[in-house]
Amino acid sequence: MPNAVAEAQADDRVRMGAAWTPILPFLVVFGLAAAVPQVTNDYWVLIATRAAIYWLLVAALNLIVGFAGQLAIGYVALLTLGAYTASVLAAGNVLPPLPAFAALACAGVAGALFGVVVGLPALRLRTFYFAISTLGFATIVTQVALAWQSVTGGGIGLPGPELPSPFNTPSGFFYLCLALAGACTWMTANIAHGRFGRALIAVRDADVAAEAIGISKARLLVTVFLFSGAVAAIAGGLFATLQTYITPDAFTFDLSILFFISILIGGRGSIIGPMLGTIILTLLPEFAAPLAAWSTFLYAVLLLLIVLVAPGGIAALIDFRSRKPLAADRAVVPRPALLDHVLSHHGPTGDVRTGNRLQRPISLRQVVLSFGGVRALDGLDLNIAPGAVHGLIGPNGSGKTTALNVISGYYRPEHGRVTLGDELLGAASPVTRAAHGIARTFQTPRIVGEASVLQNVMMGGTIQGRATFVESLLSLPRHRADERTLRIAAQFALRTVGLERLGNVRADRLQHSELRFMEIARALMLRPAFLLLDQPAAGLSADEIARLGDLIREIGRHGTGVLLVEHHADMIFDICDQVTVLNLGRVLAQGTPAEIRVHKEVVSAYLGG
Amino acid sequence: MPLTRRRFALSTAATAAAAGLGRPALAQTEPIRIGWLAAMTGPSSAPAIGFNRGVLWAADTINAAGGVKGRKIDVLTRDTQGDPTKAVNATQEMISQLKVQAIWGPTNSGEALAVTPIMARARMPNIHPCVVDSLIDPQKFPNAFRMAPSNVQWDDAVRGYCLGILKVKKIAVIGDTTGYGVTAVRQTVAGLIKDGAEVVYQNNIDATQPDMTPDMLRARNAGAEAFVVWSTSTGMDARMFNTRAAMNWDVPFVGHPSMSSGEVANLVEKPANWQKVYTIGFRTCSFDRNGKLPPRSQELVDRFQGKVTLSDTLLWWVAGGVDAINLVAKAVENAGAAPDQIIQYWNRLDKYPGYFGDYTFTPSQHNGYPTQDVVMSEASSARDGAFALAPGYG
Amino acid sequence: MLTSILAAGLAVGAVYALIGVTYNTMYSASRVMSFTAGQLGMLGGVLGSLFVLRLGLPLIVGFVLMLACCAVIGIVTEIVAVRPVLKSLDQHLYVLSTLALALMIQQVTAIEWSTEPQPFPRLFGIGTGTFDEKFWLPVAACAATIVGLEMLYRHTLVGRAFLAIAEDNFAARALGLPERRLRIASFALAGIVGGLAGFSGGELLLAFFANGPLLNFYGFVPVALGGLGNNRGAVIGGFALGVFQQAANFLVGGIFSSVAVFILFIIVLLAAPQGLLGTTPARRV
Repeated sequence: MPNAVAEAQADDRVRMGAAWTPILPFLVVFGLAAAVPQVTNDYWVLIATRAAIYWLLVAALNLIVGFAGQLAIGYVALLTLGAYTASVLAAGNVLPPLPAFAALACAGVAGALFGVVVGLPALRLRTFYFAISTLGFATIVTQVALAWQSVTGGGIGLPGPELPSPFNTPSGFFYLCLALAGACTWMTANIAHGRFGRALIAVRDADVAAEAIGISKARLLVTVFLFSGAVAAIAGGLFATLQTYITPDAFTFDLSILFFISILIGGRGSIIGPMLGTIILTLLPEFAAPLAAWSTFLYAVLLLLIVLVAPGGIAALIDFRSRKPLAADRAVVPRPALLDHVLSHHGPTGDVRTGNRLQRPISLRQVVLSFGGVRALDGLDLNIAPGAVHGLIGPNGSGKTTALNVISGYYRPEHGRVTLGDELLGAASPVTRAAHGIARTFQTPRIVGEASVLQNVMMGGTIQGRATFVESLLSLPRHRADERTLRIAAQFALRTVGLERLGNVRADRLQHSELRFMEIARALMLRPAFLLLDQPAAGLSADEIARLGDLIREIGRHGTGVLLVEHHADMIFDICDQVTVLNLGRVLAQGTPAEIRVHKEVVSAYLGG
Repeated sequence: MPLTRRRFALSTAATAAAAGLGRPALAQTEPIRIGWLAAMTGPSSAPAIGFNRGVLWAADTINAAGGVKGRKIDVLTRDTQGDPTKAVNATQEMISQLKVQAIWGPTNSGEALAVTPIMARARMPNIHPCVVDSLIDPQKFPNAFRMAPSNVQWDDAVRGYCLGILKVKKIAVIGDTTGYGVTAVRQTVAGLIKDGAEVVYQNNIDATQPDMTPDMLRARNAGAEAFVVWSTSTGMDARMFNTRAAMNWDVPFVGHPSMSSGEVANLVEKPANWQKVYTIGFRTCSFDRNGKLPPRSQELVDRFQGKVTLSDTLLWWVAGGVDAINLVAKAVENAGAAPDQIIQYWNRLDKYPGYFGDYTFTPSQHNGYPTQDVVMSEASSARDGAFALAPGYG
Repeated sequence: MLTSILAAGLAVGAVYALIGVTYNTMYSASRVMSFTAGQLGMLGGVLGSLFVLRLGLPLIVGFVLMLACCAVIGIVTEIVAVRPVLKSLDQHLYVLSTLALALMIQQVTAIEWSTEPQPFPRLFGIGTGTFDEKFWLPVAACAATIVGLEMLYRHTLVGRAFLAIAEDNFAARALGLPERRLRIASFALAGIVGGLAGFSGGELLLAFFANGPLLNFYGFVPVALGGLGNNRGAVIGGFALGVFQQAANFLVGGIFSSVAVFILFIIVLLAAPQGLLGTTPARRV
């Protein structure tokens, strides 16, 4: 379909042309900032430098709090660590004195490692527990700084690193901090708008689906902790230079709260929001000197208001695009004919994706799984052949969804095996399924409401990206190629399911049926060898069910094996090549739709009539 | 401080009015701006509140008498809340935006450590009362002057009292876990050992620790004859006094002025628990056996009647605040308002008769308080902010 | 030495345990963990000192008034910081709203009351040395609370209703239980428990605004160790923590004892994220 390809590429060009609009606010802010030393005095330069250093840390913390959704309230620990490391190395208390920039770099390394230590509990602990653990870390670092007198000077502290000329004047230092803040803004924006940013918000808002997509939460978070820790520690070193002398009492809990609240006031998932938030919160005390004692109280009030009234923060308030009304009676009309491009071996950009084309079936052999005292699966045998649509039906509690969850790796069976051809599919490791070409949808759509439809679908192709985190950070060619490929593929997938006109709309504005099709588009991004659908027709109108059926049948015809768990018996009998009926965790009957429709036991246990 | 902004507005208005009466607006009629870095809220705000009373009274008194050579004094206060970050911001504001002639404060060592290099870079004349020794260095910071005793002087006084007047040889040294407490303990221990005394027990204790018995028992078992205490926490102090009473022990406590703070009175279980506690005091703010303050101090207290409350603060703070403003005023009066002139004037001060002390500065010595005027006070004897001399002084 | 560690450890541990119970009570009613639990403990001490010492009210009157105020704070927590965010629990907004409210309480106390620890009145004047009332009052309060809660949950209709909405919210509502009113009552109860913790521990911890964050952390450790919603676990965890903390204080000194406690806390949690006595979490998929 050359027309469709051309249209998708044209869409892409329009998008690139509009790329300047999001950059504009940043240019304005940095432009104004750069003018500060020219038009004001050293006092305002100091305040601006402070804002730049705080923003450096907040930009990095933003990836953790705003994007990954990990509530690291005590992140001032990294600032403290960086400040002390840089100062100690520059002063020569442990090793011979290092030049200031080397000390800053070493602080960055220390920060990266400590950032992982502080962040690791996030992988095991619930949100509130993790928040408290970060507060504990903040206290610990300060206590160590206080106690380790021989190195840190204890309560007396030590001087911060002195930078060489021309950075040792107020304006010189300011421009350095501004440049670093600008670079960090650019880098975090690259991450945020790219594959890693989408993966982060997938982990934040739809972590179960993220696993199915193949996103490894641990690896992703550790990478982010490394980066953010390093940047925060460097900010700490610069902070020490700004203060000229650091003592443990400079690293207050109030400062940690300030960083944290800046991000929430600014809005999760945004860069410009937290930046404005940081600037406002840094400048506010300077204009409200009589209110100095009440400043933390006011921050708290602000936080409460944001949470209750505008949880999306400043970013949501200035997001005018998401307020544009949508057409009222929209219909989802898939185009199964486009599946050629979506599922084909050679994609529109000539990329060759070696999915599982070996025609291997998925098999379950004697799988047993209990929840508490209830046997959900009682010796289940199932064989899903590629290139066919396999229906799985049965009464409630018969184990349909459980079987699907076992195949997609969320549960570990007590007995039995799940294999792909000869290869054993690992138990309790849903993250591995995507690499095998197994994609799925969920009983209730698990999507990221705050992201656009296009971004949601692009998440589906996360593991196909080849650029590393560093390449994304610096927007190197391979990262940009990844993004282009993913975007075009996603647009194709959206066209296929009929949602192309809603690409830039926030996903939480979609109707239920549209979300179901969007999930399918997301699953198609993997060019899956197997597509597992968990009650995709639930909540759809009769028309939509018919169109869904057509789409699924075409997907099967293109070589993808489809496992369809459903209650809509008509749809099952209409499109399935094979049907398995479950009852009480084991197979009741297995065969073609015609055979199953008249099977005596099936009729009595389930179909009725 | 709303008060100060109003003052600023009033005095500016007054100056402007005077200028508008036909006199040309020369620089000589501009007010003398003194920056005041005050930790008025936040932890350890009691000293700043005390200093502030003296500062405001001194400025009012000078202005009521016509000012300094016709120039009014303007005190521009910034509440730093004990936070070094806010102190740095405020200091730079005073230097570049408010363009003050001199800065008094900060009152908190943590803040002072951060702002001293900044003031030195701007050659801003600075007087402060903070104790940390490294704050004063005529080579590195030729602009900074200390008008109160340094840590070394405090330590000398306490050590002198223990070894010379109490005549004890085995001493337990306790501090809290703040930076100040940790450093002070270290310094005291070193000084005691150098003077041939025996430190039988030393520890830094978390100020919120609810029970002091283990530490005090250990000290007693080690043979302690006196306790030197460097803690800013009145809660911790009171717990130690109560534990001493519960142990039926009458070992003396010597050390930090927090032990004589009014709050301790409410925290001890019996007034008797507060006896035999001797804290850093100053001869100028202590009354002798006849209950009399030195004449100059008495004159100041008389002038305070009805205008400045002393009962809930310490006299030395208020007097110190008065002296600070007067030092700046005298410098401007006798030498001029330019930074170099002020610094040069201070460098030549010889036994300048302040209310808190007689200050002597030289180009190579910027610690101006005379060591012999640091004495020990009887902790529970506070009367209108002054204390009785501890037993043993002539 | 040992007796003094035990006395202080059990006493302060009892306060921590009661704050843990406060956390649990709030959690049971709403599936929300609130940063205001520690602040309630702080207010127990501060308000107790305010009413009995500064305003000179009789002990009983001051005590009841303090409990009433803490109950009100609990209810305010529910209305302002919990109910509005219950719909979006998965976004963890409750962490932020309760944090904001806790900060507001803390700052107002710091500014209006004092930034220094203020004295707490001697309540009865019983006991000296290791048997001083400041050591056994918190333990007695803890025991009374646990017994009281057990009786409430097992023998009264209201208590059983509390258990019902904690166990299965929807089923309870389907049965016609007034869920919202029960939740408000639960938070009021949590406020009372927190206030009691602070009041009984007042002679030990004094009336100090910084007790808020202190109790937030040390009151949470028993919950983490004992399992969320498990009051017995919280009590055991609290006592264990108190004794460990005092022992560490004695052995390694003030600065490192908090480091020791924290490291232990992290290690235990990473090994058993649901707590040592906790239950496994619900199914995710």
